[in-house]
Amino acid sequence: MKKLSPIAYVPKRETIQTASLGPVALYLGAYLLVCFFSSDPLVLVAATAGAAVAGYGSGAGRAVNFSLKLGGFLLITMVVVNALVTSRGATVLARLGEWPILGRVDVTAEAIAAGGVIGLRALGTMVVIGVWSACVDPDRILQAVHGVARRSALTATLISRLVPLAATDYARIGEAANLRGPAATPVGRAAMANRLLAGSLDRAVDVAATLELRGYGMEAKKTGFQKIASRYDLRFWFAGGMLMVVAVAELALGPGRFETYPGLEYQFEPLGPLVAFAFLLGGVVPWRRRAK
Amino acid sequence: MAEAGKVNLVASPPRSGHALEFSGLDYTYAASSEPALRGIDLVVEPGEFIVLAGGSGSGKTSLLRAGCGLIPHFHGGEIDGTALVAGRPITGNGPGQLADVVGYVAQDPETQIVSTTVAAELDLPLRFRGDHPAERARAVEEVALALGIPHLLSRTVTTLSGGELQRVALAVALVTRPPLILLDEPTSQLDPVSGDELIWLLRRLNEEWGVAVVLAEHRLERCLAAADRVVAMDEGRIGFDGTPRDFLAWAIELRPELATPSAMMFAGAGVEPLPVGVRDARQILRHEFPAPLDQGWGPDNESVPASQDAPSVLEASGLWVELDPGDGPRDVLRGIDLEVRAGEKVALMGRNGAGKSTLLRAAAGLVEPVGGRTMVPEGIALLTQNPGDFLVRDRVGDELAGPEGEAAMKAVGLEVDPDRDPRDLSGGERQRLALAIALAGRMEGRALPGLVCLDEPTRGMDRGLKCHLTDLAKRLAAQGSAVLIATHDVEFAVSFADRVILLGDGEVIADAGMQTVLSGGWYFASEAARVFDRPGLVTVEQGVDYLNDLRNGAEGEGR
Repeated sequence: MKKLSPIAYVPKRETIQTASLGPVALYLGAYLLVCFFSSDPLVLVAATAGAAVAGYGSGAGRAVNFSLKLGGFLLITMVVVNALVTSRGATVLARLGEWPILGRVDVTAEAIAAGGVIGLRALGTMVVIGVWSACVDPDRILQAVHGVARRSALTATLISRLVPLAATDYARIGEAANLRGPAATPVGRAAMANRLLAGSLDRAVDVAATLELRGYGMEAKKTGFQKIASRYDLRFWFAGGMLMVVAVAELALGPGRFETYPGLEYQFEPLGPLVAFAFLLGGVVPWRRRAK
Repeated sequence: MAEAGKVNLVASPPRSGHALEFSGLDYTYAASSEPALRGIDLVVEPGEFIVLAGGSGSGKTSLLRAGCGLIPHFHGGEIDGTALVAGRPITGNGPGQLADVVGYVAQDPETQIVSTTVAAELDLPLRFRGDHPAERARAVEEVALALGIPHLLSRTVTTLSGGELQRVALAVALVTRPPLILLDEPTSQLDPVSGDELIWLLRRLNEEWGVAVVLAEHRLERCLAAADRVVAMDEGRIGFDGTPRDFLAWAIELRPELATPSAMMFAGAGVEPLPVGVRDARQILRHEFPAPLDQGWGPDNESVPASQDAPSVLEASGLWVELDPGDGPRDVLRGIDLEVRAGEKVALMGRNGAGKSTLLRAAAGLVEPVGGRTMVPEGIALLTQNPGDFLVRDRVGDELAGPEGEAAMKAVGLEVDPDRDPRDLSGGERQRLALAIALAGRMEGRALPGLVCLDEPTRGMDRGLKCHLTDLAKRLAAQGSAVLIATHDVEFAVSFADRVILLGDGEVIADAGMQTVLSGGWYFASEAARVFDRPGLVTVEQGVDYLNDLRNGAEGEGR
């Protein structure tokens, strides 16, 4: 029996899953925008937490936990790597002397903070993508793309299928890596990433071939894709719109400007906590009252 | 737009006289210097059922790809000659343009499913074609009924078993009612029950709907009886084209590896005509030998289980495993008690979803049991279903470096240039390389794992490659490892195993010597067992002996 990838889409009667693609894309897009581009740690933490809350409220707990685990690992890795490879910054915490390849290694508070911000971005982005992947029906994405990229089955496939395919391959290849004999060359992260990318693209091409065989690129009469309205659409349009405005304002105005070099400097503005609160509160938007 | 609600139960007629027509077709893949197809001349008439035979790499898949337009549009390369699908040239029409006249089902159903639910998957080609929603709803319902899958319509595709996925893939290929359907080893991942069901379902659709079927298969004993005609591929050429019975005579004489077990038995004993299937064999026997031998006849060489003194290499006691495939947890293994001893060669069989892979994974510690335990005191090497998962580098030599790597390759009988890309190896070579990776550093003395497990290793292999695998299993067993192979391939199990464990719904339902288990049923039985129905008679050699005894008995009565 196959075990489902933690971030694979599972149909559920929850709000994000049943809402239309447009409002959900707007809502999660606001989170993605902030997590990817903001440099304010407070906003990043709040947006990550908000996205996680949204995921839990949509029955995507497994996806959120998986993304937090993987993103947490990335966060720690980035902090450590940045601390070791970047000696910039005025606050030296430790002098570790000369290292092979790296040369002189001075661990600074600024480098740790800079690595932390990059890691927080990665963590937040992964949580948002995890929620998207687990809650948004790839069939709907395919239908949406079909309208604008009619002749390009590969584009549609890559958009709608690459994430679950990569997740499945990752699990399988990781498992096989643990089954290798002691004299076989161990599977490092670079080899794994390389294989994962090549394998996922191969599989995506297979799926694209299948789409072509189904007639994806066929010059057909106007297809009957129906727009299915959901009673949750209005909620996501409204919340998504508000959050998007806040996200754009945050990025444009940079209320909580965080500078790491040459010294740590956090320019506090009252707007910063408000933005953070908005994104944290926005996480409850997908929650709904359960029938008793 | 077609009028809503009108759905014909027969395939749309092809636009020309032939469903498929190749004339002087040559094709070479973009990355290859050797042609994959050479001078193919073939005509498939509407309503024909053709079995495409041939060894691995003989050109079967390329021929089918050319029949649906994937060649040359998706695979590139150089093409010469004429190829018409329902009168349309494939050079001017891609797969999308041919989708209404040909359906294609590839070997791996997982890469052919692109939607989330079965209903959405069936609906997709109709949507692409622009059919009216009412028309689509009815077509989906009709095809689901025809293939016996209406209960699957609301299921997510990730929760389907291999057999169910294959049926869904077939339904998708048929939902637009194409006059021609091409299938590339669709039974390779199916258990004997599902495989037989699929073949007869194809035959029924062929007869009732008039769909022309071209079916590529390695296990010919499974499908020859359903065929009108057999086309055998040989190094990219058509080596034979004729009736199934003529094909068997040709195969016995020139390509014995393609002959079915029944044909080999009858040819070995000089009984004619050669049977096209089990039913045919039984009819011939009734006609030729009206008085069968008494029930006391039986082979005297039942395989001997490993000595009870041999150390135990796998112990499972009260093993319960629960998995959640996404639609709720379910018991996959239910209180398994099992012991495998060093030197045993064991076939693990059962329907799709019976728990075979999970048992192997539990033994290797990849899944956590919710009850009971497994012990592998001498260590375990497991080769999972997809050997490609073990191959992560661009050079064979980078996967297995040093003398221990070379020793592992030698142990599995693999001799390839270390500079070759693992992805360019043949299916059998990839399998061996993956096994060498799993065994590397564990081939000598105490390092040799007590248990070597292979999960469905014969997928897509011809008989020659299976023979290599059998040799490998025997070699490992001779060195002291127990070999446990999960397989659906009964004839392969006959060739290597001395013990068979049959799982059913997570429980052991039979565990005995190979000859006992594989002669005592109908589905999980070799072709020899199905023809003769004698306890312990499972191999071709035994079948020949039995036929000779029948002949001698008949001649004695005649005198």
